[in-house]
Amino acid sequence: MRRLTAIGCIALLAATLTSCATSGQQQTEQADANAPASLSFWSTGGDDETAIFQKAADLYKRSHPNVTIKVQTLTWDDAYAKLLAAATSRTGPDIVSGGMTWMIQFGARGAMVDLRSHGLDALKAQAQPAQWDSAISPDGSVYGVPLDMSTFALYYRTDLLEKAGLGGPPKTWEELTDAIAKLRKAGVAKPYSQDWGNLDWIGYFNYLYQAGGGFYTDDCKPSLNTPQAEQALQYWVDLYRKHGAPTATVEGAEALDTGTALVVAGSWIAKGIDTGKPNLKGKWAMATLPAGPAGPTTFIGGRAIGVTAFSKYAKQGADFIKFLYGDEAIRAMVEEGKKRNLPYIPPRPDKIAESTFTPEQSAVFAQSIGSGKAAPGCPGWDESAPDVSKQLQAAILGKADVKTALAESAKIMERNAG
Amino acid sequence: MANHAVSLRRSRLRRYGTSYLMLVPFLGLFAGFLIWPLLNSLYLSFTSFDGIKPPTFTGLENFRRLLVEDERFRHALGNTSVYVAASVTLGTLLSLGLALAFNGSSWPHRVMRTIFFLPSVTSSIALMLMWKWIFFPSDVGLANTVLDWFGQKAVAWLATPGLTVPILVLMSVWGGMGYGMVLYVAGLGAIPEEYYEAARIDGASTWQQFRRITLPLLRPVTTYVVVTGLIGAFQVFEAVYIVFRGTNQIGGVLDSGLMIVPYLYDQGFTHFKLGYASAVAWVLFLIIFVISLVNLRLGRATKEL
Repeated sequence: MRRLTAIGCIALLAATLTSCATSGQQQTEQADANAPASLSFWSTGGDDETAIFQKAADLYKRSHPNVTIKVQTLTWDDAYAKLLAAATSRTGPDIVSGGMTWMIQFGARGAMVDLRSHGLDALKAQAQPAQWDSAISPDGSVYGVPLDMSTFALYYRTDLLEKAGLGGPPKTWEELTDAIAKLRKAGVAKPYSQDWGNLDWIGYFNYLYQAGGGFYTDDCKPSLNTPQAEQALQYWVDLYRKHGAPTATVEGAEALDTGTALVVAGSWIAKGIDTGKPNLKGKWAMATLPAGPAGPTTFIGGRAIGVTAFSKYAKQGADFIKFLYGDEAIRAMVEEGKKRNLPYIPPRPDKIAESTFTPEQSAVFAQSIGSGKAAPGCPGWDESAPDVSKQLQAAILGKADVKTALAESAKIMERNAG
Repeated sequence: MANHAVSLRRSRLRRYGTSYLMLVPFLGLFAGFLIWPLLNSLYLSFTSFDGIKPPTFTGLENFRRLLVEDERFRHALGNTSVYVAASVTLGTLLSLGLALAFNGSSWPHRVMRTIFFLPSVTSSIALMLMWKWIFFPSDVGLANTVLDWFGQKAVAWLATPGLTVPILVLMSVWGGMGYGMVLYVAGLGAIPEEYYEAARIDGASTWQQFRRITLPLLRPVTTYVVVTGLIGAFQVFEAVYIVFRGTNQIGGVLDSGLMIVPYLYDQGFTHFKLGYASAVAWVLFLIIFVISLVNLRLGRATKEL
């Protein structure tokens, strides 16, 4: 009898396991579009960012009294895992924001709504073209649209450049290496460092595109086996090995404060330098990145926003996202962002001048974004990126030569492209 | 006969019914939050599962790929093995050393024991953030500041692959030796003083007393310290995740700090490979199970010598 019970239990368990390991996907029934709706928006970032999106949500409620949107913060560290947990259980947020390619990843697995069905592909006309291409799936599905923008800038210490007899920031690759040499000669122990993208593919991105190369061709064929890619990597490696750029990452403002003359860092640090490092007030300025042989192309990052496939309020969620691209919402978010000293660049290039930065800073970012490119949206890139970074690190740390590192990277990208 | 069995069952139920009833909340939680996820992960390890679409059964494919093809897993296994060997050996030796040094009941000994035990009762996240600050690359990092006092150049502690595992071992030993010390102090206290008295009368030196009395009688404690240390070391996660993780890589520069559990997390929660991550978890379980078993058997065998 006991043995029979045990066998029965095991069989029951096995059956439950196979049937209930996951609930599988069901179509979520949509709520009545005119009935009161309460939506949850998981915003990846900090509490201040949540506050500016909440401001937009409150503004939206004024014209849509039936729709209440509550914005909650997800920290960058655990957002991805939490979104995955929500997608697995098909419960949680109606609207989510996160990394540029996250929505593509979740959308490809059926966890996001293709926003084309709600007409949001029309936002393409307002968005930065390269950033838009990066946010949409290779098959054209629009699982997410850009929510904001970020880019690179060259931050520099005016006092140290003056000490080295430099009239202004370097504008080309040659001028950069020249400036590093002059600064060193003038006794500046730390002439140059990179914050965002240090030892990472994002850091290489700028040099690659500035040399006229790219990670993929227009039809998504891996393209790191090119002379341009080699020239870019050689230059980047030399910055570390010949010109002493540190491999350890120091946050941009911290680097400037501890005596680094030229720092390549993200746009967001511009907002906090004067308040976080009062000693630097009046001693720093910023410019676009030095241009390479093919031009000044700079990386554009940012966040994407989308509607989950398990939301009962997909229509309202999509409508809110459309609202976020409107002048009124952008103005409200910028105002709130300024109050909170928050770095925020709207996803519309024509609105960069209205960002929370000073007009001079906004002008630098507008210039970078104008000719910028975003992360490749090609199949297999997300899987390849960490391994490509490792190959780049091997070249920087002298464990592989430039050609081998690029050939290995190309192989990885080809394998993951499927 | 049947009536007898039924009445026996009834009387047993009457006798133990309340106890069983009181066990229900624990058993419910135990089954729901431990047994169920465990069995679920065992099932998922034989599937391809991205966390969103329903899993598809793939048999032993995950295990084949893991053990035959996956170079990154082998790298993680290699790193973890070096880390486990170094941190458990050093941790155990230092725990024993501290216990021998501070096993008295005087207040200085008690204060020292408290100081060394403090990291064990402090939040591991806070400790890791402190270590990150110590090895911060800029001039505000404590380690580089100290080097600067002696006129030495700053070191890229967290971006030098050769330093990653030694730093992880240092963090682990520093944080764990106080706990081992407390166990050894308890073990030392349980050794009857008469043994030492008899040994001294027989002319045994301090080293001989340690070698012939203390060490053998501490064997159960050593086995416990080593086995729990091994299990903890194999499961290292926070140190790698908080101190070494880069923008795109969980294992730090050149994967120099990639360990098995961070690799599992990376596969499951950033690459949507939950079936594969479950296979990693079960391989890790088997490794820990076999090593712990060998350790326990060795402990038993040496006891019988």
